[in-house]
Amino acid sequence: MHPPYYSAMRPLSALLGLSIILATGDSSAGSAALTAPTAADLATPAPPYRAPYQPTRDDEVLQEVPAISDPAVARMTQLRKAFNATPQDLRSAIALATAYVDYGRQVGDAHYAGYAEAVIAPWLAAQPVPSSVLLAEATILQYRHQFPEARKLLHASLNEDPRSAQAWLTLATLDMVQGDYTAAGKECVQVTNTADVALGLACSANLRSYTGHAAQSLALLAQVQAQGGAQSVGLRAWIEGLMAEAALRLGDWPLAEAHYRAALQLMPRDNFLLVAYADFLLDRLRPREVLALLAGAVQSDTAFLRIALAQAALHSADAARYTWIMAARFAALSARGSDFFGREQARFALQLQQDPQVALDLARRNWQVQREPWDTRLVLAAALAAAEPRAADEVLEFRRRVKLEDPIIDDLAQELRIAAGKLAGAKP
Amino acid sequence: MRSPASPRPRRLGVNGRWRASLCAALIQGSPYAAAHSASDAYLNLSIRESAHGAPVIEGQWDIALRDLAFVLDLDADGDGRLTWGEVRRRWTEIETYAYRQLHFDAGPGNACSVEPRRQSIDDHADGAYAALFFEVQCAHAPQRLNLDYRLFFAVDPSHRGIFTLQSGRDTTTAVLSPQNASLHLAL
Repeated sequence: MHPPYYSAMRPLSALLGLSIILATGDSSAGSAALTAPTAADLATPAPPYRAPYQPTRDDEVLQEVPAISDPAVARMTQLRKAFNATPQDLRSAIALATAYVDYGRQVGDAHYAGYAEAVIAPWLAAQPVPSSVLLAEATILQYRHQFPEARKLLHASLNEDPRSAQAWLTLATLDMVQGDYTAAGKECVQVTNTADVALGLACSANLRSYTGHAAQSLALLAQVQAQGGAQSVGLRAWIEGLMAEAALRLGDWPLAEAHYRAALQLMPRDNFLLVAYADFLLDRLRPREVLALLAGAVQSDTAFLRIALAQAALHSADAARYTWIMAARFAALSARGSDFFGREQARFALQLQQDPQVALDLARRNWQVQREPWDTRLVLAAALAAAEPRAADEVLEFRRRVKLEDPIIDDLAQELRIAAGKLAGAKP
Repeated sequence: MRSPASPRPRRLGVNGRWRASLCAALIQGSPYAAAHSASDAYLNLSIRESAHGAPVIEGQWDIALRDLAFVLDLDADGDGRLTWGEVRRRWTEIETYAYRQLHFDAGPGNACSVEPRRQSIDDHADGAYAALFFEVQCAHAPQRLNLDYRLFFAVDPSHRGIFTLQSGRDTTTAVLSPQNASLHLAL
């Protein structure tokens, strides 16, 4: 059993069909069809430019790559060998694909989702697709934030194998990410029925943290931990992370921090946990600690955004360069046809580009896809910054309906009420 | 193609060297030179007229070293640090591997070949790339060009080839994927 891949790292999303854009015009805008923020846009120094070059020394390091000394890498290599020896064997394919996805998720590197997809491709192409392959592909799609496609495969997988607790847990998590708490509740019951009470309890407890019962959530999760319900390190870290989140909902910062630290002690490199703890530190105005925390995680786009935010908060000399690189990374994603990675982009526009209009548009579009507290928070913050308080109405209504607890979101909602009131007063 | 609302509304004008400018030497050393997102390669073709009026088709193909390391085991000592020496000693293999996945023709009876010219290293925002420079030579002066691209698709179907064609003042771009691996270009 694996912790579910919720809040996937980087949505890569659906690939477009081939699109050819013919751009004619001014040759100084030579690559007009591919866009990237200009240095001027970001008020950064002109990018240091270097044409393709020939290194001069053989020992010059050009690129960090996964090292064999890393046990996770060694394990993938071993599983790859086993798979290559018996490429028809579904079990070794699933083992390898799972190891790839786990590693990619841990280090925040989307390449591994692609490697995993290649491994299971022959089974995906043939009919009927085994339920384990449907589940593996669903997990990959969820990681890329292709939620409707992931959901479809999860249903198909459960149709084949209704006793797959992993599939139920993944589906429950997907519904929690998208704010369908009623469906998630039913799926958590299925997790209990198909796995064990502890995992089902963790699932339901997590759900409660989104619906106004964060204190209960914490108590239940503590019970799961105390009873040793989660056996693997990954699951224990996952539950610690959920406890940190529940504590955030309650505004209990020291408790949240204790749980983040406990989770990271178990899984020190986990990209999701690192980024969540970095967000916590940014909120607590501790950017210096973010730089220390994420020093080894620059390869992940989500982590890199937090580094750029920390640099900006510190007004460091490097801040503009980090912002520039972040923009270049978004531009590269955009060029490949990855259409939407809304949460990170909205935050980038709001906090680093200071473009509240664009941020609001991105945040609202993102909110149609995912509705975790951070997604809600971004819509409210962007609406406030853009002086368009009514643009957050739908989101505020959702917050009321599900009884979302969160002191930071409460403050934003209050400010929006005041802003809306002023606006109404100004335009009677 | 893109979400209309992405926060990058303005365009980069860098004399067609957009990629190089994204790359930027600031990538050297930490903390910038790490791989990250999904796999992309950048295939740029440019067409100009030769002295006698025939089109000359030149290409630059930037392929991430980390992607090449995965398929060709470039990190010989397995220490996680890919050095220039480790890359340099395998250049021929890198070229052979890559060019096997890229084919051109200019229509029936007009075969084209890829003629490697030189290689370099090119820094991008997400790490160092092998830059392969080549020329496309066809039996007769081509009126059109068909391209078939298969790089990495067998090991990573999420790989994308970001294609740019520069011809005079025009720029054409496309995204090459397993579902869209061929291009038909009018010259």
